[in-house]
Amino acid sequence: MNRVAIVTGGAKPDSIGFAVVKGLRREGCEVVVADLYEPGFAALQDCLCVKTDVADPNAVQQLIDSTIKKFSRIDILVNAVGGSWGITPQDLTAAPPRGFRGLTNCEISDWRTILGANLDSAFYCARAAAPHLKKQGGAIVNVASVAARKGIPPGSEGSSGPYAVAKGGIMAMTRQLALELGEFGVRVNCVAPGVVASGRFNKVSQISKQDHGPEGPLASIPMGRVGTVAECAALIVALCTDDTSYMTGVTVDLNGASYAA
Amino acid sequence: MPLSGLKGKRALVTGAASGIGHAVFSRLKSEGVETFGTDIHAIHDVIVADLTDSDDVEKLAGKVGAIDFLVNVAGGPVAPSRSDTLPELKKNPLQLEDIDEAQWAGVIAANLTTAFLVCREFAPRMKARRFGRIVNFTSIAARRGSSRVGVHYAAAKGGIIGLTKTLALELGPHNVTVNAIAPGFIKTERIAQASWGHDSAEAERAFIQSLPLRRAGKPDDIAGVVAMLCSDAGGYVSGATIDVNGGWYFGP
Repeated sequence: MNRVAIVTGGAKPDSIGFAVVKGLRREGCEVVVADLYEPGFAALQDCLCVKTDVADPNAVQQLIDSTIKKFSRIDILVNAVGGSWGITPQDLTAAPPRGFRGLTNCEISDWRTILGANLDSAFYCARAAAPHLKKQGGAIVNVASVAARKGIPPGSEGSSGPYAVAKGGIMAMTRQLALELGEFGVRVNCVAPGVVASGRFNKVSQISKQDHGPEGPLASIPMGRVGTVAECAALIVALCTDDTSYMTGVTVDLNGASYAA
Repeated sequence: MPLSGLKGKRALVTGAASGIGHAVFSRLKSEGVETFGTDIHAIHDVIVADLTDSDDVEKLAGKVGAIDFLVNVAGGPVAPSRSDTLPELKKNPLQLEDIDEAQWAGVIAANLTTAFLVCREFAPRMKARRFGRIVNFTSIAARRGSSRVGVHYAAAKGGIIGLTKTLALELGPHNVTVNAIAPGFIKTERIAQASWGHDSAEAERAFIQSLPLRRAGKPDDIAGVVAMLCSDAGGYVSGATIDVNGGWYFGP
């Protein structure tokens, strides 16, 4: 019986989630991709693609129901959806908004949208998948960010204050779920990427000023480079496999030594 | 799927005679890594060396040559010596006043000085080749503190975290990653023999039941994380301390 994995945010071809989907396929998993980005589904014909707004708990329940209907089980959940923009049906492919959105100057609607896509989504998915994961054990991997470790410096574009807070919540949720699901053999871990050269990063690079965009922090990365989507995905996949069989509740930072927890 | 980025590489594992070190040695070999093991205890085909002695470390480097992966497992809560190479672990918790200066110095040397000397010997070759992965071993004793192993061991392992973070900054520009693994209760043969860590079988069962994953760790659980860090999955991970403890304690 093949293991069955759900990956949220796996449809954009230059995203971490997409690379995770490919990695889990190579591991022999059946993969269900949950994403709003329908144009990406054509490149994922060996997966079950379900158009899903993961910020909507009813849509998430339908995603889980579709998965069970097709594959009868869930072994792995990777919550890769996230970002400060490009996360709603309205702005899915939009350019990043200009200007710094901190906690003290963002719109209340920004807070709701960003918390919804980054934090609520992982909660809804974990909660709805849990009864199925518990049947035979498995793994959940969440995606946080170095933003939760360091905050977003005022002036930065492309990310936001609410994003940093949501990702901090993801780390706490990882620990809480590890406690609740451990006895059922479900491990829950998290990665906290620094700057990763995804499509999102490339879009931000195009609009940002040299000092305030990702190029600014680049100078402060000891390894002297941004991370790749492939190495981030490889780490997430490893957290789904038996190589990490005794890890749970852990956030693994991957940031080129720019922050050491 | 085998982990990518391992096959054909060269590795040195210290403390390879037993326990976690031996499991790491076997795992890397099974991934197609040309793996050398060293230990003060002569068994299997390890290169015998006292890693608290910089002359021995230099001789070791002469035998091993350039490596891609350095895994510093050597250490433990009781310091070995050339005459007692695999000392028994103590059954009772070690308290402050139980530890004399010789024990303090011995445990610091066995756990912290060894890692320093071995890194100092091998890092320059990694820098020159612009590739390297160093995996150090700290402990849950440094993360949450410990009521068992003694302050010397906890302090030495805390030192490993500082060493790891600093080397990550220093070696990052040379494409060398440096990370630490913090194991929890890993039931190696030696620990099982000493029933070390627990006063009775009943106490051990109660402890195990308090862990989220409801089991003790195995050396292979740790070897998998070492393999992950050496593989392509570890390419952008540096400066990290990774807790592998079944959920016993959550680091930052």
